[in-house]
Amino acid sequence: MARSASSLRHCLVLLALLALLFIHVSHAVDHHFEGFDSDDVAEDEEPVAGTLDHPPPIQLTLTHSDPTHSDLPPPDREQEEVSEPSQPSDLPPKPSSNGLDYWDEDEFEGLPEEQSPEPPKLTENVIPKDPSSDPNKAAKPQKTAVSRSYVVEIVCISFLIMFTINYFTGKRENENIALAWAAKFATKDSIFDKNFSLLGVGDGDDTPLLLKEGQNVFKFYASGRRYCSGLLATMELQSRHDLISRLCNLVVRGRDEISFEVYMNEEAMDQVVFALARRKAAKGMQKEERDLQRYASLLSGPTGGRKWVVEELAVISESKEVAGDLITEAVLEQVFGEKAFEKFGKGFISMHFSDQQLGTHKKMLLFKFALPDAKNMAHMTRLVALIPYYIDLIGRYKLSSQARSKTDSARSKAAQEAYKEQQNARQEALQKRKAERKKMMEEAEAKLSAEIIRKKEAKDRARQAKKAMPRVRMTRAH
Amino acid sequence: MSSHNNSSPAVNDPRQPSTANPYVAPMVRPEDLPVDYSGFIAVIFAIVGLMFRYKLCSWLAIIFCAQSLSNMRNFENDLKQISMAMMFAIMGLMTNYLGLGPTRPSTQG
Repeated sequence: MARSASSLRHCLVLLALLALLFIHVSHAVDHHFEGFDSDDVAEDEEPVAGTLDHPPPIQLTLTHSDPTHSDLPPPDREQEEVSEPSQPSDLPPKPSSNGLDYWDEDEFEGLPEEQSPEPPKLTENVIPKDPSSDPNKAAKPQKTAVSRSYVVEIVCISFLIMFTINYFTGKRENENIALAWAAKFATKDSIFDKNFSLLGVGDGDDTPLLLKEGQNVFKFYASGRRYCSGLLATMELQSRHDLISRLCNLVVRGRDEISFEVYMNEEAMDQVVFALARRKAAKGMQKEERDLQRYASLLSGPTGGRKWVVEELAVISESKEVAGDLITEAVLEQVFGEKAFEKFGKGFISMHFSDQQLGTHKKMLLFKFALPDAKNMAHMTRLVALIPYYIDLIGRYKLSSQARSKTDSARSKAAQEAYKEQQNARQEALQKRKAERKKMMEEAEAKLSAEIIRKKEAKDRARQAKKAMPRVRMTRAH
Repeated sequence: MSSHNNSSPAVNDPRQPSTANPYVAPMVRPEDLPVDYSGFIAVIFAIVGLMFRYKLCSWLAIIFCAQSLSNMRNFENDLKQISMAMMFAIMGLMTNYLGLGPTRPSTQG
C-alpha cells in the first residue's frame, strides 16, 4: 500500500512537471506569434521557435519568410525573392507589412488598397509554385491551434510513462500476493506440505513452488497423496500490471480468485455429482455445466430437521441423500453453518465435485475461493482446509444401494444417448462417403464419355480427311 | 519428512510419494488461446492513423500495443501480432510527424 502511494506521488510529480513544460512551451510559442504580429523583424526569434517545435508545418509556415530555417531549403528563398513584387507569402493578418514589403511606389501608384487583399489570395491559389503557401493554409487554422496540438503528445507520453511505472508496481503487487499465499499454504509445515509429498513444478528438491504464466496468473502443483493423483491451484489475480485494466477495475469491481483442481483416482471416487455455490452463481452453474445440467438439480431445502448450509448458499445434487452425506456436521460447524459462514466463509465462491467432467480427467473436485490481501492470507485457512478433508471424504465415500441405483440408471441413459449419437454420426459419415463416391464415379464416367465423344469426333474428322485425300491424288495423276 | 505407512496413533500420513507425478503443462492449441483484444484494437487504430493521418489514432495504437505487450503470456506466439501492430503504429507516427508520403510537399523543394 505504501509502495503504491509513493508511486502515485511519483506519477503526480511527473505529470506536474510535464504540465509545466507544456505551459512554458505554449507561452513561448505564443510570444513568437505575437512578436511576429507586431514586428516585421521577427526573424531572430524564429530559429528558436524552430528548435523548440518538432512538427514542421507549424513554425515553418508562420515564420516562412525566414529562409534561414533549417527545414526550408534555399529554393524558398529564391521564390520569395521572385514573388516579392507581387505575392508575398505572408499571412493576411499582416497586409500592411506585406504592402510595405513589395509595394513599389513607382509601379503601383493609386492601387495600394486593391493590392493588399489580392496577394494573400494569390498566395493561397498558387499552390504548386510556392510550397510555403500550402503550409500557409495549414498554418492559418493551426496558428491558434498550435498551442493545442501539443496536448495529444503530452497526454499520450505521460500516459505511457505512467503505464510503464504501473506495470512494474502492479507486477510486484501481484507477485507479493502470490508469494504470500505460497508462504502461508505451500511452504514447510504448511497444510499442503503435510498432505502432499511433491510440491511445486520442477524436479528435485529446490524446485520453485509457483509457476508464473502471466503477470496475473500463477499456478501451484502438488502431487503424491492417497485418493488423488494431483492438485493444481490456479491464482487469477486482477491485472494490476495493466493500467487500462486497473482503471476499468476501479469502475467494475474485480477480485482475486484461486481455483483448485483435484484429480481423483478412478477407484477412489464413486458416482457423485455435487455442487455448492452462492444462489445466483449456483443457478448459472446448473445451466452452464453439462454434467450438472444432465445429472443434477437444484435442491430446495434441508431434509428433515437437520442443520443445513446458510441461506446464501445453494446446493446442486443428484439426490438429497448424497448432498446430506457430503455436507457433514464438521463442515457446517467450521465453514458453512450459520455462525461460521459469517466469519470464515466470505471468501467462498463455489465447490463442484463430479465424476462426469468433460475433458481429459473425468473425476475431479473443483474449489473456487476469493483471495484475500497479502496480509490477510490467514483468513483462508479454513477454506483451504476443506480441500484435504473432502479428498478424504470423497475418497472413502460409497453410495448406498438406493442412491447407486439412481445414479446407475441416469448414467446408463446418458451412455445410451451418447452411443446413439455416435451411431448417428457414423451413419452420417458413411452416407457422406457414399455420396462422395457416387459423385466421383459420375464425374469419371462423364470424363470417360467426354473422351469417347472426342475420340469419335477425331475419327470422324479423320474419315473426312481420308475422303478428301483420294481426290487430291486423282487430280495429281492428271 | 519421510512418510511412514504404519498408522500413527493419531492420523495416517496421507502422503504417498510413490504416486507422485510431476507436473505436465497442458498443451494449448493456438486456436483456444484467449483473444488478444488490445492487440486487435491496436492494429485497427494504427491502420486508421496511418491511412487518414490522425495523430491521436497513432498514439492510441501505441498505447494499446503497450497494453498488449504487458498482457503477453506466450512469448513466441503473441509477439508476431504485437510487432505487426507496433510497426503500423510507428509508421503512422512517422508519417504524421515527419511528413513523409506523397501528399505532404513540405519536405520537397
